[in-house]
Amino acid sequence: MKKILDKIQTIFPLLPNIFSAFFSRPETENYPFEKTHIPARYRGRVSIREENCVGCSLCVLDCPANALALEKDSKNKFRLIHYRDRCTYCGQCEQSCRFDAIFMENEYIQPAYDRDAFFEILVDRDGE
Amino acid sequence: MSRVTIPIGPQHPLLKEPMSFNITLEGENVIDSALRLGYVHRGIEKLAETRSFIQNITLFERVCGICSHIHTTTYCQAVEGLLELEVPRRAVYIRMLLCELERIHSHLLWMGVLAKNIGLNTVFMYSWRDREIVLDLMEEISGGRVSHAINTIGGVRKDLKEGQVQKLSEGLSVLSERVDELLRIVDNDRSFKARTQGIGFLSEEDVRRYCVVGPVARASGVDVDLRKNVPYACYDELSFKVVSMTEGDVWARSMVRIHETSEAIRLCEQIIEKLPEGEIAATAKRKVPAGEFISRSEAPRGEVVYFVKSDGSQTPARVKVRTPTLTALITLPRQLSGLQMADVSAVVAGVDLCIACADR
Amino acid sequence: MLFHWVDRKLTAKFEGRIGPPWYQPLADVIKLFAKEDILPNGTNDLFASLLPLTSFATVLTAGFYIFGAFISTEFSFAGDFIVIVFLLSLPSLLFFLGGWTTSGVYSILGGNRSLLQYFSYEVLFLVALSGTSIASGSWSLSGIRSAQENGLPYIIPQLIGFVLAMAGLIGKLKRSPYDIPKAKSEMIVGPLTEYSGKRLALWQLTDYVQTIAGIALLAQCYFSGIWEVYSLPGIAISLVMMLGLQFALSMISAIFTRLRIDQLIDLNWRFFIPLSLFHNVLIIIL
Repeated sequence: MKKILDKIQTIFPLLPNIFSAFFSRPETENYPFEKTHIPARYRGRVSIREENCVGCSLCVLDCPANALALEKDSKNKFRLIHYRDRCTYCGQCEQSCRFDAIFMENEYIQPAYDRDAFFEILVDRDGE
Repeated sequence: MSRVTIPIGPQHPLLKEPMSFNITLEGENVIDSALRLGYVHRGIEKLAETRSFIQNITLFERVCGICSHIHTTTYCQAVEGLLELEVPRRAVYIRMLLCELERIHSHLLWMGVLAKNIGLNTVFMYSWRDREIVLDLMEEISGGRVSHAINTIGGVRKDLKEGQVQKLSEGLSVLSERVDELLRIVDNDRSFKARTQGIGFLSEEDVRRYCVVGPVARASGVDVDLRKNVPYACYDELSFKVVSMTEGDVWARSMVRIHETSEAIRLCEQIIEKLPEGEIAATAKRKVPAGEFISRSEAPRGEVVYFVKSDGSQTPARVKVRTPTLTALITLPRQLSGLQMADVSAVVAGVDLCIACADR
Repeated sequence: MLFHWVDRKLTAKFEGRIGPPWYQPLADVIKLFAKEDILPNGTNDLFASLLPLTSFATVLTAGFYIFGAFISTEFSFAGDFIVIVFLLSLPSLLFFLGGWTTSGVYSILGGNRSLLQYFSYEVLFLVALSGTSIASGSWSLSGIRSAQENGLPYIIPQLIGFVLAMAGLIGKLKRSPYDIPKAKSEMIVGPLTEYSGKRLALWQLTDYVQTIAGIALLAQCYFSGIWEVYSLPGIAISLVMMLGLQFALSMISAIFTRLRIDQLIDLNWRFFIPLSLFHNVLIIIL
């Protein structure tokens, strides 16, 4: 008897798996109609805590995709620009910043119809 | 009978990435095949000379999609060797954890691809369902499913929190049951064996002559695993087995890879248990002193070698990468000769190609 | 088309996924009809249009006869069993011819293989099904049914024949494990590689109708006689039988790998056909 069972197992090993998969919950989700769970550390949008930024340009130097640019006139008058379409969302800017200013949130990136939507001004400081 | 040349060309449902080989058929048997690579060449090694050492971490992550973490680990090890920097032990353990998780991910993906090429769509869906567990775990730890971006020169970027360790243990226990199921299927299924046994044979002397590495070599009896032979990154403190078989055909490679997946799960459990306390990164200078360093590691497909040469500035002078898929690809014409047309798909999937790695 | 949706949904459930919604095959066919028709240079346009049309016509005729025989006894004539099986086997021949006219490397190779497979599995189907007609002593479908009304339905004494006829049906329909001609990973779609648009839609419709016709034929030959078909519960029961057969077909497709062409032919001629011949001899004796 055991030999027959073994023989059946060699021909149909997938049979119990099929039936258990048939009766359990499916693993895929109907994406546009049901949203999925995003973990907290997901590298999504780049955003900034404005009061901490001093315009040191460490993030600009370290960005592998040249997606950040700093236009600096003086110590208190500078603009930090982020090009969202060049960015690879790698997180190197968050790692390089020493003042805990630039960080990544866990939101999905929204698509847009024209390129101007991707030009984002992160810090616009107007001093002397 | 006349000879026909079929292009298994740059675009084909068999291949994940573009590569071309033209098979010459006579009747149903394959006589010859001519390989052409270079469709995915992006000039990464030359690009690396124009960017700083820190920017290169992100660049080398994108050499390959599946073994991305191993590439960055090897690169960071090379630069840390040049800087003569001591990496804290907790960082090394977290790096090893992600390396092993990536190994599990890569082998499960490969299993699905082999099953799909043979015709077993069900096993394809099952192994990719199990792969989702690993991907979710990696996303919890590092922030991305495939591109982890967790290495930095001197250590890792993010730490493992308590809740994450618990999720890891649960996920790993579910995975180990499912991998045992997969092993039972591959070991027993007669139709699977009928398609994979006896084809794509590589003898041991062929393996040594072509310098093949990785699971392809281990399935032919050559017992070479860098984690045991030349331990890097604290692998000498963990215990695991190196699996090898002697048949050398596609079935032996499947068995070797599934056993390796079980071993990787056990390694992950050991790493979580033994995780030491401490810092997660050491600060690294931006200017790297002049010198050369070679660092090697064991990717899911074999041995990866990085040679980094610096001339004292902030950008490297030369980076050379040798990836394991190239060694396996060269043996393909030899494996394919004498087979039937229908076996080509099984052999091509059994070698576990990653053309992006091979072309760089 | 609904049966095709049942097949896809069942396969998805077996694999652990949510399958497509019920209107998916209909949407696919509509989309295909709206696409452009492209053929390689040098193919005979007339033949390339004629072949899918002819195959669709033959399976529709066969299905018409089968369902006609379901509904009323006077519809079927003596010998219609053979006619139906012949009509059902034409599409496979036309499949190969379709590959031959649009000559591309993949089409010709796929066509060669499908011809081999066609020879073997049509024979199996015919021999296995003729077990029922031998036992009932008539070559018409209504004769087979009336013979079963008096005694047991044929499935019970002829279980082996039923299993063999199922194997023959899977070979004819070119489903896994016998889908070498249509093997997606190797020969793209086999003979149908170069077709597109309306012609491809016709080939696919042929496939769907052939599935239903084959299942209905099997249900008629092995399961009928349990009920009165001309009434409403009869139609419902026969529908349930056909769905059950479709379930079995999907299950078998999900379990096995795709066999190589020489393994297929091997299995057929060494194992299946002798078994079916032996089975028929047994029926004649008993």
